[in-house]
Amino acid sequence: MSRGIVQYIILRALMIIPTVLVLYTIVFLFMRVLPGNPILAVVGTKNIPPEQMKHLMHIAGLDKPLYVQYFDYLWQLLHGNFGVTLAFPMGVPVSDYLKLRFPATLELTIWSFTISIIIGLITGTIGAIKKGTIVDTSMRLYSIIAYTLFIPWFGMILQYIFGVWLHVLPTSGRISPNVNLHTITGLYVLDSIITENWPALVSSVKHLILPSLTLGIVLSGAYTRIVRNNMVEVLNQDFIRAYKARGVKDWKITWYALKNAFIPIITLMGLQFAILLGGAILTETTFNWPGMGTFIIDRIEYRDYNAIQGTVVFFAFFVGLISLIVDLIYALLDPRVKY
Amino acid sequence: MKKWVLLILLLAAVFVGCAQNNKVQNKTPVENLQKSNAIVIGVTDKVTDLDPANAYDAFTWEILENTMVGLVKYKPGTLKIEPALAESWEVKNNSTVWIFHLRKGLKFSDGTPLTAKNVVWSIERVMRLKGDPSWLVTDFVKKVVAENNTTVVFYLKHPTSYFLALLTTPPYYPVNPKYNPNKIDSDQTAGGAGPYKIIKFIRGQEIVLEANPYYFGMKPKTKKIIIKFYRDATTMRLALQNGEIDVAWRTLRPSDVLSLEKSNFNVVKVPGTYIRYLCFNVVKKPTSNVLVRKALAAAINRKEIAEMVYRGTVEPLYSLIPNGMWSHLDVFKKYGDGNVKLAQELLEKAGYSKNNPLHIQLWYTPTHYGDTEADLAQMIKTQWERTGMVKVTLKSAEWGTYVDYARKGQMQAYLLGWYPDYLDPDDYTTPFLSSTANSWVGTGFANKTVDTLLKKAQEIPNQNERAKIYEEVQKILADQVPYVPLVQGNLFIVTKPNVHGVVVGPDMVMEYSYLYKVS
Repeated sequence: MSRGIVQYIILRALMIIPTVLVLYTIVFLFMRVLPGNPILAVVGTKNIPPEQMKHLMHIAGLDKPLYVQYFDYLWQLLHGNFGVTLAFPMGVPVSDYLKLRFPATLELTIWSFTISIIIGLITGTIGAIKKGTIVDTSMRLYSIIAYTLFIPWFGMILQYIFGVWLHVLPTSGRISPNVNLHTITGLYVLDSIITENWPALVSSVKHLILPSLTLGIVLSGAYTRIVRNNMVEVLNQDFIRAYKARGVKDWKITWYALKNAFIPIITLMGLQFAILLGGAILTETTFNWPGMGTFIIDRIEYRDYNAIQGTVVFFAFFVGLISLIVDLIYALLDPRVKY
Repeated sequence: MKKWVLLILLLAAVFVGCAQNNKVQNKTPVENLQKSNAIVIGVTDKVTDLDPANAYDAFTWEILENTMVGLVKYKPGTLKIEPALAESWEVKNNSTVWIFHLRKGLKFSDGTPLTAKNVVWSIERVMRLKGDPSWLVTDFVKKVVAENNTTVVFYLKHPTSYFLALLTTPPYYPVNPKYNPNKIDSDQTAGGAGPYKIIKFIRGQEIVLEANPYYFGMKPKTKKIIIKFYRDATTMRLALQNGEIDVAWRTLRPSDVLSLEKSNFNVVKVPGTYIRYLCFNVVKKPTSNVLVRKALAAAINRKEIAEMVYRGTVEPLYSLIPNGMWSHLDVFKKYGDGNVKLAQELLEKAGYSKNNPLHIQLWYTPTHYGDTEADLAQMIKTQWERTGMVKVTLKSAEWGTYVDYARKGQMQAYLLGWYPDYLDPDDYTTPFLSSTANSWVGTGFANKTVDTLLKKAQEIPNQNERAKIYEEVQKILADQVPYVPLVQGNLFIVTKPNVHGVVVGPDMVMEYSYLYKVS
């Protein structure tokens, strides 16, 4: 690896720090500006004496001045500690939840990501090679429709068709309750393969199909469009004409064109990954998927400051990491890129 | 082109093959469940805390009541209290000393012997840890002593006629010695000595219960109960329709219940002890004027609310003490339902007219009480504005903010709901009307007569005498109108046609040990 690329990696990694700090500060302030707090959200209208309320506030550390709370949590973050939950239940390390929930979101994201790219590549390529025909128009129409689909609505349509109507796929959860799976990585498909637990593999794949298809289709719209446009551009270039003149087979030409059109697609992948995590929240809610999305919504309901801050910071780190990886892939694919 | 067509056809063939394969496999889980004697229950509620020292919500109490048991319990499906861990008891010194004699040979669900010392240790632990529901013990119990292995003696701070009702609540349940003595143990699954034990708990996903072989009482009809947690009613309904769950429990939407009833599902309706009510701030204008509060109470039409907002799944309620509970009186019937004429007369007396209407803010919280809440607020606004003399501004705030506003007394009129802690008229009156106990609700209501009456009712052991006092309190409530009772919730349990034995007590707890499924 050249010296330039190492320097670039270090610089990009360091840039994640101010991003996370700014996000943490914004979340911290917004959560505190709103009236109420986690203890009130939990206690609600229960008939709890004021002294006990004070006691609970003290345990949660919410009786301290705001700046103390801010720096206390920041200090914990610097030590890789995301703090403990403040509600339902109180005192469980947020990292325990992240360990439990993140693999679920990651698994859903990986599948959806793959589906969206496969669909995007196929539909975009078909559109490009059939440019100007009804097939091309259909693909462009598909792209617009897919892009504008509202995840909960589309998810529910799929649930009705494949669950309630055809009874072929489960509509919620990650695995059947009567299937036991020994988890190692938390990615159920992978764990099933590692432990050679085939009923668990079947069940987890079946549970993954609808949510990942929903999210995958919605995100594929953007790929369809960008693949088509880039392919059209590349297919008009001289080297393609040269290939044609030499009688190179159509599928080979398409493959060469696709390779050349890939660089902007990689850029989009990096951007889409962040959107994908956001989309995962809606998908998780629709399919009762026990991931980070449903976790953060629960925590917002309880005003669990630590859990919300911890999750946001974790997400920011992760997205930063992904965009760094995407940049590196970009460099590998395009030799013109220099660091 | 031909290759693309072939590829698509191949993919389609694989999918159809998969679908058919799935069709066959889809039946497998159901068959497996029957063989393994398991029932899957879906809920939209959460298990908040498996430690009875801190758990304080209806569904978590249901899990605790199925995995633990106290000295006494409700006879299934009734309000009658019967012996549980204790086989008998005596009451001495004007209801301040309660002596309980335990059954012999009791064991926790892991086989550890359960003695009077465990009962005392658990209750003292609740008092020491000061969790959310600890007041249910600390407000009443001065000390608790194990006289020997089978005798527990409670010394109370003051005579408490409904102490047995308190003993049915989870803070009084003996817990396995594995519970951390110094800290709330939220994810502890060791449980107690109830009909089931927890064998798996993944927060937000599922909890799996298995029959406790050491339980002293009736053996559960179904060996394994799996509870799956859903984020919303729609997903749960789809799971029921797709056969992923056998029972859809709390809480489906009223419209879902009605449509499922029309298809091939069993719908079990159980009267609940859950109430919805409207609060008025009696300190601040304009609701500080009793005439205004009375007028607004008269304009409310509960039957219309029950039909239009809740599709007939709730009952109109005319007192804070729910229908069916002893001492209940329909005290608010005197105002009528949607009595516009009376409302107008009262508003006129209070100095308002069509040209000088009463301006009032009505607050609600959009998600905590379900999707129907905005409709409820809108309905009340419509009913008040039918008088032609009221202009209502609807306001809403998310739960965390809403309760903060309520506690600080910042809202004029606002909607709340109440799940009982224990089943006694005291739990429907003291927390609302006693000036020393109602700061949480923020109405600012204080009445010396009511305070004295409620204190007296707590101490008298005779139920008939207590009933007279609560009747008097309810009459004052209807005269002063700090609250307007609206509706009482029914509970709906929707099951597959082959599921039977749904038993839900008046404490709104489902007893899983009676559930069974036939082939």
